[in-house]
Amino acid sequence: MAFYLKVLEITCLQTIFVLGAYLMTGLTGLFSLGQGGFVLIGAYTAAIAYLKFHLAFPVAIALAVLVGSVIGFLIGIPTLRLHRDYFLLVTFGFGEMVRAALLHLAQLTGGALGIAGIPQLVGLPMILISIAVITFFIANLKRSRFGRNCIAIRDDELAASLMGIHVYGYKMKVFILSSAITSYGGALYAFVIMFIEPNLFNWLESAKLIVITFVGGINSITGAIISSIIYYSFGEFFRFIDVWRDVLLALSVLLVTIFRSQGIFGSWEFSPRRIFGRGTKAT
Amino acid sequence: MFPAFSHVDPPGSGRVEMSTVLQQLFNGISIGGVYALEAVGFGIIFNILKFSNFSHGGVVAICAYFGFFISKYFYQNFVVTLVITTVVGGFIGVIVEKLIFRPIRLKGAPLTLLLVNSITAAMLVQQFFAATLGDDYYPYPPMMKQTGLNFWTVTVSKTYVLMFAITAAVLILLTYILKKTKIGIALRAASTDIRTPSLMGIDIDFVISFAFFIAGVLGGITGYLLGMTYSVDPFIGSQILKGIIAAIIGGIGSLGGGCIAGLLLGGVESLLIAEIGASLTQIVIYAAIFVLLLIRPEGIAGKRMIAKA
Repeated sequence: MAFYLKVLEITCLQTIFVLGAYLMTGLTGLFSLGQGGFVLIGAYTAAIAYLKFHLAFPVAIALAVLVGSVIGFLIGIPTLRLHRDYFLLVTFGFGEMVRAALLHLAQLTGGALGIAGIPQLVGLPMILISIAVITFFIANLKRSRFGRNCIAIRDDELAASLMGIHVYGYKMKVFILSSAITSYGGALYAFVIMFIEPNLFNWLESAKLIVITFVGGINSITGAIISSIIYYSFGEFFRFIDVWRDVLLALSVLLVTIFRSQGIFGSWEFSPRRIFGRGTKAT
Repeated sequence: MFPAFSHVDPPGSGRVEMSTVLQQLFNGISIGGVYALEAVGFGIIFNILKFSNFSHGGVVAICAYFGFFISKYFYQNFVVTLVITTVVGGFIGVIVEKLIFRPIRLKGAPLTLLLVNSITAAMLVQQFFAATLGDDYYPYPPMMKQTGLNFWTVTVSKTYVLMFAITAAVLILLTYILKKTKIGIALRAASTDIRTPSLMGIDIDFVISFAFFIAGVLGGITGYLLGMTYSVDPFIGSQILKGIIAAIIGGIGSLGGGCIAGLLLGGVESLLIAEIGASLTQIVIYAAIFVLLLIRPEGIAGKRMIAKA
């Protein structure tokens, strides 16, 4: 039972990261391979604040989110003006830089040995509440004016800016929001798995977040969540073929993108209104 | 030029230190040549299809393994195995293009899908090798006597000299192909604008296949040289990272800029590693890229991309 609970916890945390990536890639069309960097920043900030500076647990989490957002802002200033591919490659460099920095600052971060002995303060209820709140927030954001502007930027940046959308400002807001969510997830992650090290989240993990968003359907939060749950829980239950899990994921992604380029769910969204028969058709 | 050295060294021992520095610089530039090959292989695809081809790392990894197996179990000769690996690399590039990029391109799907597929392909190759061959390191069999060559006061390993020579030869040959041959000119025309040449009667699908062939050939050489210098493991594809960095510094659109940046990166990196250690070097290099992009977003020699409707 404890095993299944742990699987569920890890799956939900990964889904938080996927939601952060969805906000960037699915909604705004920013390809970032640096999400892993924000996960590490969140995890390390929370762990160091709690263990070394003896801050209270909620303060440590809040500090992690704050540090993540500020770093997101600082990274965003030069990079968000760049062309799509440059942005991808620079965020890639950012993720690797965070890893290198954590390895180098061994006095504070423990270097390659990581930080052990983090108490398990986060349980399943807290994770489930967090994921529900984040999903609700992003789903509403997507249907708001803000979200529609983001979608316009994703589909055609030039046209969006000609329509009077402040592209750079929107990208910056989305980037900060996404780094805040990702570092929040990272902070929770540290208190769930109880041991963190710099290689926890390399660029491949960041790439998986983008890939999962695409398989689920570039326009669909439902798709992103479902494909993330399938992928991450599948891997834990089928430990014996664990090494083949990523091969299977990659193959299925290639098949999906070639034969159904809008993703499995396309732009279909699950909506509670449709089930309970209240209100108008959800858009 | 090297203030740290002139500071630390007592007078008189300067010459010895200087030769060490020169030696490191030469090794660095040899490795930098491989980065330049990576940057060019990456840039050729970027020029024509305008997406970052991460699957180039996958081709490099496949070729590194292929070169290892062929030279270990088939025929242990440097030149023969290098040529076979190179040709195979070219065809792998073409196969990758036909299988995973062409269907999407012909459907007219957004360019972002090409990017996603190239990342996925890199992931596929890396995890496939991790799953089948494990995380072990496979060293290449010794191809030649590891002798040092003496130039004045500098002793350099023969491998590095060979690496440098091969890189230079390949880049010169590539320049010839791109500037003088018909297909090379077609390739450059397609890089400027992909639609117009197809209206002029150029078979654009063939040109794109050819671009992937060239990139694959470069990937084959890169994989072989990297495998020979270090050893082969599933993560060798990540070495492409250095080539991509070189491409950014040089400006992705510019192949010449990528070459220069590759050599520069190799040299600076090996000097920095000797001076301040490997982990700090990475941080310094990435920080330098941030600063560079802040000042000059298009890289050293790149052209500024202007969005057109």
